[in-house]
Amino acid sequence: MSDLVQMVEESATRLFGSFFETQATELMEAGDFPQAIWDDFVADGWLKTMLPEEKEGTGLGLEGGYLLMRLAGYYATPLPITESLMAFYLAAEAGIDLPNGVFVPVFLTEDTTQSSTLTIKNIPWARHAEGLLIIRPAQTGLAVSLVAKGLYNCQPGQNMAGEPRDEVSLDTSHLQQSSPLTGVDMAKLESWMALARASQMAGALKSVLERTVEYANERSQFGRQIGKFQAVQQQLAVQAELTSASICAVDAAIQHLSTEQELELIACAKITTGESAGYAAKTSHAVHAAIGFTQEYPLQLSTRRLWSWRDEFGNEANWSARLGQQCIDLTTDDLWSWLTTQTS
Amino acid sequence: MKTLNFKPVITSEKENNLRQEVRDFLKEHGKIKDAEVIDSWSVCDPEFSRALAQKGWLGMTWPPEYGGGNQSYLERYVMIEELLAAGAPVGAHWVADRQSGPLLLRFGTEEQRTHFLPKIIAGECFFAIGMSEPNSGSDLASIKTRAEKVDGGWLINGSKIWTSWAHVCHQMITLCRTAPETKDRHAGLSQLIVDLKQTGITIRPIENLAGDKHFNEIFFDDVFVPDNRLIGSVGEGWSQVMAELAFERSGPERFLSSYQLLEAAIKQLRKNGITHHAKMVIGEYTARLMVLRQMSLSVAKQLQEGKLPVNEASVVKDLGTSFEQDLPDAIRLIINTEPRPSEGEGIERLLSDAILKSPAFSLRGGTREILRGIIARGLGLR
Repeated sequence: MSDLVQMVEESATRLFGSFFETQATELMEAGDFPQAIWDDFVADGWLKTMLPEEKEGTGLGLEGGYLLMRLAGYYATPLPITESLMAFYLAAEAGIDLPNGVFVPVFLTEDTTQSSTLTIKNIPWARHAEGLLIIRPAQTGLAVSLVAKGLYNCQPGQNMAGEPRDEVSLDTSHLQQSSPLTGVDMAKLESWMALARASQMAGALKSVLERTVEYANERSQFGRQIGKFQAVQQQLAVQAELTSASICAVDAAIQHLSTEQELELIACAKITTGESAGYAAKTSHAVHAAIGFTQEYPLQLSTRRLWSWRDEFGNEANWSARLGQQCIDLTTDDLWSWLTTQTS
Repeated sequence: MKTLNFKPVITSEKENNLRQEVRDFLKEHGKIKDAEVIDSWSVCDPEFSRALAQKGWLGMTWPPEYGGGNQSYLERYVMIEELLAAGAPVGAHWVADRQSGPLLLRFGTEEQRTHFLPKIIAGECFFAIGMSEPNSGSDLASIKTRAEKVDGGWLINGSKIWTSWAHVCHQMITLCRTAPETKDRHAGLSQLIVDLKQTGITIRPIENLAGDKHFNEIFFDDVFVPDNRLIGSVGEGWSQVMAELAFERSGPERFLSSYQLLEAAIKQLRKNGITHHAKMVIGEYTARLMVLRQMSLSVAKQLQEGKLPVNEASVVKDLGTSFEQDLPDAIRLIINTEPRPSEGEGIERLLSDAILKSPAFSLRGGTREILRGIIARGLGLR
């Protein structure tokens, strides 16, 4: 790890850790925006983490972005960190300058400019955004349009963790002005978002494991800590196995960005984190029993996020089917040589 | 709570060249390349082991003064995973190369090293594991086989069981009680190298439910072992065995035992058409295999760095054996056929083999429950 990355990790850990102590989550779940902690995040200059230095960024690219997303997942930070980081990164790639603020990337799989109005579901944080960065396939490559707030309507919605997931409708005339985004296609952008959720899940899985082990070592029943019971130990051991597999899968995918293996390793990361999320949530709630089922106890902040994120940007079934198809389509007829290129 | 470390590893040109060399070697052994074999590291073929020895692939990480290749654990990882994925019969030398040699390098005397290591490297000396007994499985410290001090050596009485290829192997590293059991159950155990041709040894085969005859029960009736065949120190057997197990647990043999079934299933589905559900199953299992390879390779790197990643090795083995056991159950549902041990070729016979052999996958080298206990200790729960 370079000194810069280590410094970024340390200061982001401090900042997101300090957010955890605030009432920001309650604000978010009540439909308000946690402006105070967002201002702290923006003031520290984090929005440009992924941007190259010539665009006044920190130059850490996707890799640095995923590091922040994992930490935000670990602390269940109630802010549009993933969305804003990706919006700033993609806007810069398309030559669009964004002022500091919440911007959210929106991915349209088809060129929908034929119809006059457009309705898109499940847009994260749209109601709090300064603008949407709408990316769509164009005649050649991808087109990016910045649509400022006020030019679209928002129907508020939320995921199981209470994170805003709104329905947006807008007049397609706002998409007429656009900038080209080259060097990527829609499949790649969607896979980057999948890896974003996988990174967040890797963080949340780590947090859930630590919290649950700590609780098992504190809580006593039948005259001893419940973590001393073999039945509990065996379940937590499996949770630790799946958590470390998830972290490894995400690390491997990040390591393979911009290689030929990028897409298959992202698929593997989303499948592994998604499968682990279910087991970890189930087990940690079983170990915590009733207290973990309350609003007041913070376990639910992570488990509700795990249950939400595993279905966002493709669930395990979607990604498994894609990966399975890739195995069937291998032209070499040799699964093994394909597998080994992933580590060489 | 100790953090489990599985930093991903990318192999260098050196390892990649070796991979190609192993593939070329396997192509020359055309019969092996096309074989469809489940659990090939339980298949014993001394001739094949000697062919590997000629390539310098036994004891390849060991120091050159004993004839070893002085290569890295990553190179060894690449070499063995290529053999396992191809279904090559590596059972004869497997234990000697994986754990007996490394144990002697760590704890053995200079005489033991110069005597045994060159023979192992030449494929002329195979080792068996002498740990389990009829009344001692997971509770290894409860073993009853005794070694009594006599003039010039030790006299062994007792029995060992589930000893793979004892009837083919030359030597067995035998865990014995050399002092009566005290409150410290791990004290008073020692490891002795026993020549399996020695008088007083009876080897009785045990057939497993799949019809294989690789394991045995071994009886010791006043078997004499000279002093110079004691490994390490008297009474230190327990900690030596634990170090031995770290080498035994993290390798690719812990998730590749039923791998050939996955390849065969993909070929079958290409031919007969694939449903959406089948695609999902293939993708899910491929993803599990991808992560296991990353994790096992990461442990190999840590061994190379001189670390002893006992917890990580347990994680790989538990996740790995779950994978190789789950795979046949998942494949049978998407292939939709009946497993047939009598079919000479084809997926019916492979399925049958995988199902019948799979119970052993999570037993050998430490059961699921033992491994999870080790991981729980690493988490700070014990």
